[in-house]
Amino acid sequence: MMDAAYTAPPELDRLQQRALLVGVVALGLTVAGAFLNREQFFRSYLLAYVYWIGISLGCFAILMIQHLATGAWGIVIRRLLESATRTFPLGLVLFVPIALALFGGHLYIWTDANFVAHDAILQDKAKYLNVPFFLGRTALYFFIWFVIAYFLNKWSRQQDEASDPKEMKRKMQDLSGPSLVLLGGTMTFASIDWVMSLDPHWTSTIFGILFMGGQALSAMAFIITMIVFLANFKPMKEVIAGRHLNDLGKLMLAFVMLWAYFAFSQFLIIWSGNLPEEIPWYLNRLSGAWKLLAGAIILFHFILPFFLLLPRKANRNPRLLVTVALLIIVMRYVDLYWLVGPQVSHEVGGKMNAAFHFSWMDIAAPVGVGGIWLWYFLTQLKKLPLLPINEPQLEGALGEGAGHH
Amino acid sequence: MSTNNPDKPEETTRVPVLRPGYTFGSITDKIAAIALGRKTPIGWLIGFSLSFGVAMMLFYSIGVLLLKGIGIWGNNNPVGWAFDIINFVWWIGIGHAGTLISAILLLFRQQWRTSINRFAEAMTLFAVACAGVYPALHTGRPWLDYWLFPYPNTMGIWPNFRSPLIWDVFAVSTYATVSALFWFVGLVPDLATLRDRAKNRTAKIIYGMLALGWRGSARHWHRYETAYLLLAGLSTPLVLSVHTVVSFDFAVGIVPGWHATIFPPYFVAGAIYAGFAMVLTISIPLRKFYNLQDFITMRHIRNMAKIMLATGLIVAYGYMMEAFMAWYSGNEYERFMIYNRMTGPYWWSYWSLILCNVITPQFLWARKVRHSTTALFLISLVVGVGMWLERFVIIVVSLHRDFLPSSWAMYAPTRYDWMMFIGTLGLFSALMFLFIRFLPVISIFEMRTLLPESKVKEEA
Repeated sequence: MMDAAYTAPPELDRLQQRALLVGVVALGLTVAGAFLNREQFFRSYLLAYVYWIGISLGCFAILMIQHLATGAWGIVIRRLLESATRTFPLGLVLFVPIALALFGGHLYIWTDANFVAHDAILQDKAKYLNVPFFLGRTALYFFIWFVIAYFLNKWSRQQDEASDPKEMKRKMQDLSGPSLVLLGGTMTFASIDWVMSLDPHWTSTIFGILFMGGQALSAMAFIITMIVFLANFKPMKEVIAGRHLNDLGKLMLAFVMLWAYFAFSQFLIIWSGNLPEEIPWYLNRLSGAWKLLAGAIILFHFILPFFLLLPRKANRNPRLLVTVALLIIVMRYVDLYWLVGPQVSHEVGGKMNAAFHFSWMDIAAPVGVGGIWLWYFLTQLKKLPLLPINEPQLEGALGEGAGHH
Repeated sequence: MSTNNPDKPEETTRVPVLRPGYTFGSITDKIAAIALGRKTPIGWLIGFSLSFGVAMMLFYSIGVLLLKGIGIWGNNNPVGWAFDIINFVWWIGIGHAGTLISAILLLFRQQWRTSINRFAEAMTLFAVACAGVYPALHTGRPWLDYWLFPYPNTMGIWPNFRSPLIWDVFAVSTYATVSALFWFVGLVPDLATLRDRAKNRTAKIIYGMLALGWRGSARHWHRYETAYLLLAGLSTPLVLSVHTVVSFDFAVGIVPGWHATIFPPYFVAGAIYAGFAMVLTISIPLRKFYNLQDFITMRHIRNMAKIMLATGLIVAYGYMMEAFMAWYSGNEYERFMIYNRMTGPYWWSYWSLILCNVITPQFLWARKVRHSTTALFLISLVVGVGMWLERFVIIVVSLHRDFLPSSWAMYAPTRYDWMMFIGTLGLFSALMFLFIRFLPVISIFEMRTLLPESKVKEEA
């Protein structure tokens, strides 16, 4: 077993080509949309960007968690997680349109000098919410993510050939602890900058955690979908067993519950406080058609996945697991749409316009960015064996394992 | 529970959860001897008498309180919640480690929980008992506390179901009930062992009654395992829910410093943080005094240190977010709240809190510190103090200066406040001492399952 190469199956090439094709077409349409309706383009693009970078970042966090927790479930998905962290260069390139939005006074109302001139609080907050500092912070986040991802990937690659793989393992573990702390800090501020500052008057101390919980959930749903897909073909066919899916499914359930817990905490506290600074954020999201979306989120982002994943047997059924994962992948999009959608529709002059709106670009942009992202991810995935072949615990992690269950 | 688990981390397998060389008999002998030993160690007598003496301060101050009312406390207007609520939250939080160890670690098949779960659960129960004293007395007329429960009554009065204080009544009473059941159910097989081994007739009868007629038949074990797993499942949400509800007591209001959406997860992390600090504070001297190093190994100690570090970092994140968002909100009152914490009359409490809860646990990053029981004992004491200070800062410092400067006031605890707090420390330790002397501090039968002999069948 140990000398197997675990190279990617040819089916991945086909998936990759399709992803590229879909990505280019949809992104091309979105870019064309930029000339038709610039405001809408930036809004849809931000949604797409936050969605896909969230999957990279969620995988990044799960990669470090699995280094610290060292379970069989982590070993079999490690290369997938690592490939996702190697998409950060793409993430940085894809950030360019958002940076452009800052200069045109689009998207973020605090970049609109006219608006800020009539708002004392925003003038005061300009110490934090200003374009150079915003860009500098984003650069810093990416720098930190690059450095950590660089070493985790480098050591993992070296481990494949190393004479002392345990040494590399120890290095990765030692880096993962402090790096999780750094990721938590940078991701929190990234979520404040990229999403929370869309409504610059609104604040919530749980927002960073809620956002990170959502990313971990998206990432887990994506990884489960990928691993179930890979398990159809050699070589992963012999590797992936019920116990891996069981553990991954349980983790997905845990992330579903954590996300719901954070989301409910935020809602209950703001609802009962009913303060003028806070409650409009929810009032906008609970008016008109937004309310239906909110209801759909409760039902399909929490209740349905929760009850589907709760029974013990469910997590060993790949078809059910992948159905729930796909449902979550869609619902994460709906949740982000509900999060990003209402506040960005403002007119210069300060009037909030939270009326429900939906544009074809809200679909084209996520599909376009997603196609490109998936293509790039698969390019990275094919570079290395699908399993860390020299990992000391690899043998115990394959198949059903010994003495387990 | 599985054996030969490939999921087992590399580093932790090096130190076993049980020193090799034990047999079924020697494990039983060693643990049962602590409870059944004829001679009470002199150290135990001194420790128990001291704690029991200190507990008297609690009973005395309760007596005075019942005679005179809660005016004997330092609470005033605007600081209507003070030591009573600080101590309530502090004690409730400490209990959480016990529930986490016994329920969540059981469901996650973490074998290292086995030698520490029993006294951690006992700790939970005693901590909840200490916690319960405060709100019960703070009502002012504790003989009418049953009004807190919604029952059909001739007055036609119901509790306000929208108030988190009433959620607290349910959360805490459920917590106490489930924890007590979990602990007792886990004790039953061991109580039977003690019954069978006791030489003293009275002891035999008492243990016998508590053992509920346990004979160790296959059916008994089958029922036992089912019940234990069910209780673990019931306890798991309680780890999150109890302190979440406690955090709602504050966050649902609008006082700056209380109204923060991060409170639920940050309170839960703080509770686990304080709880593991207390488990370390108890287990480090306990294993030394009763020579239990073979059972409570360095691996347990190290794992607990890691959990403390992780939860400590979450708590630090909470402080950071509170400070940042207070500034970022641009809200005058929020900004003043954090400014007042840092530089107001109680500045010392905020900075001591940062020192105890944020700076001290950073030492736990070092392997050397995680391997030194002395260092860990000291850190766990500091964290215990830090978590108390956290509640002081949240409750007293937020209340003493809120929206209206004309209603600002200073708060100072009276001697009765101090006597009650120190008294509960005495009560807690006295109960702990009694537990150690009369019940098996480590689960005998679960320790036996850690022996290689008990695995033979499973692997065949």
